Amino acid sequence: MSDGGPDEALVRRVLEGDVEAFAGLVARHRDRGLRFAAAMLGDAADAEEALQDAFIRAYRALRSCREPAKFGAWFLRILVNRCRTRAATRRRSAGLFVRDEAALERAPAAAGSDPEWREEITRALARLDPLQREAFLLKHVEGLDYEEMARLTGAGTSALKMRVMRACEHLRSMLGEANDAR
Amino acid sequence: MRRTLLVALLLSLPNAARAQVQRLAGRVPEPARTQVAALVDSATAAGVPGDPLVNKALEGASKGADGARIVAAVRSLAARLRDARAALGASASEAELVAGAAALRAGATPAFLARLRRESPREPLVLPLAVMADLVARGVPADTAAGSVLALVRAGVRDADLVAFRQDVERDIALGAAGGAAAAVRTSATTSLNAPGLTNLPGTGTTPTPPAPRKP
Amino acid sequence: MRDDSDDPLIGRIAAELRHPVPARPDFEARVMAAVRAGPPSVPARAWTWLSEPRAVAVSPLSALALAAGVGALVIAGIWSASRSTRPGGAAGVAIEPVAAAAPSVVTFVLVDPRARSVALAGDFDGWDRSHLAMRRGASGLWTVDVPLAPGRYRYAFVVDGRRFVADPTAPPAVDDDFGQPTSVVTVSGARAAGGAL
Repeated sequence: MSDGGPDEALVRRVLEGDVEAFAGLVARHRDRGLRFAAAMLGDAADAEEALQDAFIRAYRALRSCREPAKFGAWFLRILVNRCRTRAATRRRSAGLFVRDEAALERAPAAAGSDPEWREEITRALARLDPLQREAFLLKHVEGLDYEEMARLTGAGTSALKMRVMRACEHLRSMLGEANDAR
Repeated sequence: MRRTLLVALLLSLPNAARAQVQRLAGRVPEPARTQVAALVDSATAAGVPGDPLVNKALEGASKGADGARIVAAVRSLAARLRDARAALGASASEAELVAGAAALRAGATPAFLARLRRESPREPLVLPLAVMADLVARGVPADTAAGSVLALVRAGVRDADLVAFRQDVERDIALGAAGGAAAAVRTSATTSLNAPGLTNLPGTGTTPTPPAPRKP
Repeated sequence: MRDDSDDPLIGRIAAELRHPVPARPDFEARVMAAVRAGPPSVPARAWTWLSEPRAVAVSPLSALALAAGVGALVIAGIWSASRSTRPGGAAGVAIEPVAAAAPSVVTFVLVDPRARSVALAGDFDGWDRSHLAMRRGASGLWTVDVPLAPGRYRYAFVVDGRRFVADPTAPPAVDDDFGQPTSVVTVSGARAAGGAL
């Protein structure tokens, strides 16, 4: 998979009119985006849709990406928004009161992982407050530091640290016993 | 004569109530309209919101019900709203009262409403009450539904989890479980996630378990 | 404050979550197809949102979504977007988080390919059969979105101006005073973090 250059070059090419160069950005950021969205939303199909939405928005708004070399961070911010929107809408839709067994059961499958453990994690994540879940994922899975997280979410670093701490407490209490059984 | 009565009644209402009753114009026929206006009047005097009563009348009108049926429905809703007010307290919001009235109609007792309020004095009870009514609508026996909701509230379960709980129970029922059993199983599962100290709770009635503090 | 980075359990959770999640093989192709199509591009599955909000308050972000042609689903009042248009076309978007206590927008959906008209009637609009006309989309999918303050609302769909139909996806109403199908939706007023339901 040849990406034709780092993000900055790709962004500039797209802005000069080379639409196809955007495919390189998609290829470079798809996996990380899907990983985050799947963990955040707990549903693979929703995650793909959120990610697709995010890419399309990023394309349309590409001129406002002020630091093309940091496309990844800018894109992640868009994706975080999309996930928040999607989760909020999902809860609100009157149709969500439906018994959609397929959707409720669908936990994202990941290559090389333990599906049962993954499913337990997915259930535990679903029980977290969404902002705690988001902060946990950004910190411990995506590896951002608190300053980066603050820029991305608009929250203060103290609040973010508290969310991460609470998330870890809850995850420990929910998954502690399950983990011991392994 | 009826018209005069209605006009007199309208003039006696405070502005907000008058506006409410005006909504009936052209929709609800006489003599039902006058009777509903009177019910709204006495309800608001008792500290019960009039909008739900007007909505009920409009619902009946929209569905083509005759006047007597409309009045009967409004009257019984007014009574339930009063009971909900007595059980939930003077600070209960309109949304809580409406949900409380639905729970009462579903078979909850006023004692259950009061108990919920004691367990959760500061959080809105709209969702716990609504979930109780929804469970009954799906076939869970009323006391089981009430017991489950009470247990979940005491365990500090959040609104989102209450909805998830209801969805889980609905799904189990759709897959063939009996209502009471489904609710009992899911209650145990949900409360044990939130308060590891609690042991399995039976699904029916109220149980003397040590109350868990409601999580912020 | 405990450093959770050292906690082995947290480490195991994070490691599991770092495994890549497989995307459908045509993911990139679909994104590029949408990108090439240019605005307005609406994915086939998406519902087309109201372009006539009627008396309904549409949040700025959903107006933005319409403009972007993404057909994204409607939002809570939690986010707002500030738009800045740049010369030469594409609107730049700075998305900033804003806490707001706006009503929640609920999407009502009914599938009825044979209906000629579908309206939504309920406690939120005085059971007016003609006020909230629903918009017909592909495959007989009728939709409307309504902002609702926290509370519990009885409602039903009115098909072809006459027939009351309950929402098959929603809980039935407990009380059936008038012998017609009725459904219920509850909007929770909670803290923004928990969101409305």
